[in-house]
Amino acid sequence: MQTLRVNGYDMAYLEVGTGHPLVCVHGTLGDFRTWYAVIGPLSKKHRVIAVSLRHFFPEHWDGTGDGYRMAQHVADMIAFIEQIEPRPIDLPIDLMGHSRGAHVAFRVAQQRPDLLRRLVLAEPGGNLDASLASTPSASIARGTTAIADLIKAGNIDDGLRRFVDSIDGDGAWAHLPAAAKQQLRDNAITMVGQVHEGREPYSKADAEQIRTPTLFIGGGDTKGNLAENHRALAPHVAGSRTAMIANASHWMFDQAPQEYSELVSRFLGG
Amino acid sequence: MAYLDVGHGPPLVCVHGSLCDFRIWSCVLGPLSKRHRVIAVSLRHFFPEQWNGIGDTYSIAQHVDDVIAFIERLGPKFGLGPVDLMGHSRGGHISFRLAQRRPDLVAKLILAEPGGELDATLDPAFKPGPSPLAARIAASAEIIARGDIDGGLALFMDSLEGPGAWKRIPAASKQLLRDNATTLIGQMRDKRPPFSKADACSIKVPTLFIGGANTKGALPQVLRGLAAHVPDSRVEMIPGTTHPMFEQAPQRYCEIVLDFLASR
Repeated sequence: MQTLRVNGYDMAYLEVGTGHPLVCVHGTLGDFRTWYAVIGPLSKKHRVIAVSLRHFFPEHWDGTGDGYRMAQHVADMIAFIEQIEPRPIDLPIDLMGHSRGAHVAFRVAQQRPDLLRRLVLAEPGGNLDASLASTPSASIARGTTAIADLIKAGNIDDGLRRFVDSIDGDGAWAHLPAAAKQQLRDNAITMVGQVHEGREPYSKADAEQIRTPTLFIGGGDTKGNLAENHRALAPHVAGSRTAMIANASHWMFDQAPQEYSELVSRFLGG
Repeated sequence: MAYLDVGHGPPLVCVHGSLCDFRIWSCVLGPLSKRHRVIAVSLRHFFPEQWNGIGDTYSIAQHVDDVIAFIERLGPKFGLGPVDLMGHSRGGHISFRLAQRRPDLVAKLILAEPGGELDATLDPAFKPGPSPLAARIAASAEIIARGDIDGGLALFMDSLEGPGAWKRIPAASKQLLRDNATTLIGQMRDKRPPFSKADACSIKVPTLFIGGANTKGALPQVLRGLAAHVPDSRVEMIPGTTHPMFEQAPQRYCEIVLDFLASR
């Protein structure tokens, strides 16, 4: 695969299409393939650049070392965007993230608004602090530890079942097509890193710092804190818009690729 | 010619089938790339190209020429000789023809339910002329050429797999088919010659045939017909699967492939 050297790491990415760069950041247990259902429509108008964050497939990580940190992934994305040609100094790019990848994208926008033209956050992952939620959401880290323990012990499918069912309800893993399961397996070891990733909760002040025009996308059927986060953040991100996709849940771009791509393209003005 | 290149080790070039592209191998990339440099190509006019369906450059012969040129270009880059070659469906047909013409380029051959017809030397019931599939392709292509992508794909998938087949396909998989819909227009000019016994006998490289144990229709017949005459061949049928067997049983599929490629 093509790679860019970021902070001492060769970060793999897939690039398709021509036009304004749209950098896409996958979520937990994802990788550059997460975006396969939408790169067709999106690449008609955009130069789609789908990255794999540090330690995700195509790397076959062994789970050791401390390179899997939220701060590291944010720093890696900043270094990656800085190297896109033509230089971002002339051409701020569009950035899109899903789930944990939307958390990464949110933090990039907070730290380096100069790099970004527009921001798309599809159900950002994480927790809300007391300034955004009357009852701060349950830490996602606890579930992560149990999943990581299963995976470390070699019970990969049991760990993944727990993860998928916690998002899409009991039985969701069992209903997942075999191909989708395999792509999660390819990244299972990253859950071991995620236990100690050091992801901070979102605060109202964080949201108010976002200066980039932002589109939130949600699935109408999503439950739990992934449904709450964007609703809590959006009122405090100045000028942001929210689009909901009916009959879709957390992986809304897989479930409604045409609608998702149209929303994104219209927002980006491709 | 676009390709995805993942992993390290002996190169394994993968050729997708009709209406697919390099993304079709997505679910086997993980296990296979642990031991091989997996190179998944997109044939001419498939995604990421956005083809308009015009021109005479979509054919079996053109695609075989293209993959030959592709492997020749890889050769010096890797400092290696022949590569392992894997094809699914129409991509299996292309891989077969490539191995026939240029055995010097191929170390091992994997044919996952190769597409095509058997001629009279392999199937006594063979009748020369356009394949039964040709009329369906033409009808679907006409609809797609008019701009009704979903209508054309629905007709094609339903005529292949029965009424309601298109509706049952998951949304993400549908989108990959849409991304390649215009290639069906080219496929009317595919000019795919039937397989003969002499063709099969001429394959000189070690060959693995993989099939889905529940696949219906001509594909299993073609697989058996060819395997019976390819001198150094073995057959693995994966229980509980059909034509997209590697998507339905990625772990088993990869075990079979890795085991075959390891036995050098």
